[in-house]
Amino acid sequence: MKQRILIVDDSLTVRMDLDEAFESAGFANTLCSTLSEARGALSKNSFDLIILDVLLPDGDGTEFLKEIRTSLSISGTPVMLLSSEAEVKDRIRGLNRGADDYVGKPYDQSYVVARARELLRKKEQPDGLAKSKTVLVIDDSPTFREELACVLKSSGYAVITAGTGEDGLRAAVDARPAVIVVDGVLPGIDGSTVIKRIRADAVLRTTPCILLTGSEERTGELRALEAGADAYVRKEEHTQVILARVTAVLRSSGARSAVGSTASLLGPKRILTVDDSLTYLHEVAGTLRDEGYDVIPARSGEEALELLAVQTVDCILLDLVMPGLSGQETCRRIKGTAAWRDIPLIMHTALEEQDAMIEGINAGADDYIAKSSDLEVLRARVRAQLRRKQFEDENRNIREQLLQKELEITVANSARELAETRAVFVEELERKNSELEAFSYSVSHDLRAPLRSIDGFSQLLLEDCGGKLDSKGQDYLRRVCESAQRMSEIIDDLLLLSRVSSAELKRDLVNLESIAGAAFEELKKKEPDRQVELCVAGELLAEADSRLMWVAFDNLLGNAWKFTAKVAGARIELGVEQKSEGRVFFIRDNGAGFDMSYAERLFRPFQRLHTESDFPGTGIGLATVHRIIDRHGGRIWAEGMVGQGATFYFTIPTAKRGGAM
Amino acid sequence: MTRNRVILLVEDNPNDVELTLRAFEKSSLDKEIVVVRDGEQAIHYLFSTGPHAGRDPALMPEVVLLDMKLPKLDGLGVLRRMRADERTKRLPVVMLTSSREENDVASSYDLGANSFVRKPVAFGEFVDAARHLGVYWLTMNEPPPG
Repeated sequence: MKQRILIVDDSLTVRMDLDEAFESAGFANTLCSTLSEARGALSKNSFDLIILDVLLPDGDGTEFLKEIRTSLSISGTPVMLLSSEAEVKDRIRGLNRGADDYVGKPYDQSYVVARARELLRKKEQPDGLAKSKTVLVIDDSPTFREELACVLKSSGYAVITAGTGEDGLRAAVDARPAVIVVDGVLPGIDGSTVIKRIRADAVLRTTPCILLTGSEERTGELRALEAGADAYVRKEEHTQVILARVTAVLRSSGARSAVGSTASLLGPKRILTVDDSLTYLHEVAGTLRDEGYDVIPARSGEEALELLAVQTVDCILLDLVMPGLSGQETCRRIKGTAAWRDIPLIMHTALEEQDAMIEGINAGADDYIAKSSDLEVLRARVRAQLRRKQFEDENRNIREQLLQKELEITVANSARELAETRAVFVEELERKNSELEAFSYSVSHDLRAPLRSIDGFSQLLLEDCGGKLDSKGQDYLRRVCESAQRMSEIIDDLLLLSRVSSAELKRDLVNLESIAGAAFEELKKKEPDRQVELCVAGELLAEADSRLMWVAFDNLLGNAWKFTAKVAGARIELGVEQKSEGRVFFIRDNGAGFDMSYAERLFRPFQRLHTESDFPGTGIGLATVHRIIDRHGGRIWAEGMVGQGATFYFTIPTAKRGGAM
Repeated sequence: MTRNRVILLVEDNPNDVELTLRAFEKSSLDKEIVVVRDGEQAIHYLFSTGPHAGRDPALMPEVVLLDMKLPKLDGLGVLRRMRADERTKRLPVVMLTSSREENDVASSYDLGANSFVRKPVAFGEFVDAARHLGVYWLTMNEPPPG
């Protein structure tokens, strides 16, 4: 879709002129001669950019600008003020009211279009990133442009077109295309020249260029290479061939990146001329405008400094002898300000004296020129300064790139060191883990064997020689067997605790209700005679390791089961509550409960709040549950009262992506 | 294969040997239990070599009860050698061990064990296990073709 521009100017000539310029640049325009017309247009349509005259028959453009900036719906639309009232104070007023740009009349048509494009680009890409897949097609045949644009667009490229080499270069500066396709034969400058200029520009020089050559040209390839093209295609080839070359060229230039901050030599330039002589100002402004520059005339050093505070310029022409702030002092202040220091500054003076020149240079001027000189010399000097600035920018960019590269290397180095350190830690951790595993293994295997002997031979002793033992002796042997059994259980629980700590955590969305249900069924199987009711309420989904949660519920429900053994109407509740720290799951029983003053000890291994004869257990179960909840990043706590039952609460926060070990 | 009702027990711990023998004794099955004390002995016995050179190699036990942890060649090593040899590759092997390590269980089955039994600490349960094993492998199970 075409971008829409609202042009508000009371001069029919200006309206027609800008309409023509923007239309041929591919914009859709709406023309208004008064503010009331403009208000009407804005209420009906939305616009991408507004070009606004300041002096209008029914009001002041800058006041209208204030209206725009305070209106919610259109306050973000870029506005370019275009006015014959282009003196410094007008510019400052306009820019302070929120204008995005201020261009003086008389204006250069292509300058206005170029500035408009720049404003639109800033709006589209506030982060300043260049479009990566835009193709610029420069060809004088509208049919061919249309056809090629169509083919490129259907392959996902954004396309901008230009009819002449000059327009193409301006469009290249504005849009920073990823690749340029240019016809060899063009009105005005030809395709080879376009490519040569692209190659000479700091910003654009790395842009791949494809030259289209005529069928009659037998030396097409040679010409294309001479001009610095990356590829050439004969024009009579199918547009699909051009598409293939575009893709190929883009692929091979993938590593290239355009330098971001350098202003292009071919881009629109703004020049500030400072002189107390109105006649001289007009003369200089006229000759520079003919060159396509936007010229800001300032009547004094003070005005110049005020303007620089609101609008950047590309070059400054400064009179040495002025009332008020002298040229020398103005120059010193400009060169002493970091933001302006790099702007090329040319002193000009009526005095043909060596002293004056030396003063100027001493104050920090980059060049000086005598007022008596031919205006052609002035133009040449300005061009030279702009070029010099360009080269400096380019060098600075190269330096910055080198610095950036060094920085990247440093970053890469420290990242590598970090990775190495990490690897050492991981290795150490793995070693410790495998040691622990070996330990668990030998505990599991080697401690159990003697227990088996203790139990086995005690049993055999009872069987073989039981008759020779009195009841006391038989009781002792039974105690030996019971102790062996108990130690076997402790070993199993300890192994489980260590396994729970070292097992890999595999989180899935699990339904805790079904896990709890399965664990509960196991308990019922072991003691089918007991009557315990399990009530589940609420949606019990959690991102958790189902195997570990099984162990947790086996323990929690096992406890609830165990401690309700002595109450009538044993009941276990499982549910979830929404609390300040998120979803809190709970398991509540109406069993023996516990003394809250010992609540902290519950989750420590081997801590027991009940006697073995009342409620048997190893004292490791809740430590295991605590470890499991801990590994899920959650929290577990308990509430209870002796004889009033106990409630265990726990949380399972949602896993942090990528962060878990 | 003839049903000779021989069980080969490979176990180094004399207490465990005694308990296993007693447990099987209680099963009142008609069987003969041959005990060897390490993996190397087990191999000698199975292939009638070394101290067992005089044994008739055609007479294979009906089932081998194999401990995981053994001196010299361990249980898994014995199993590997058995499965690699034509004469013993189909012989039923029951891993009989204290361990319940998942790795042990997995590698036993990977190497071709027919069963994996964890020796219970309680002697009563051990007796039950021995009876089940005996009944299963000596009567219910159809031996591999000789």
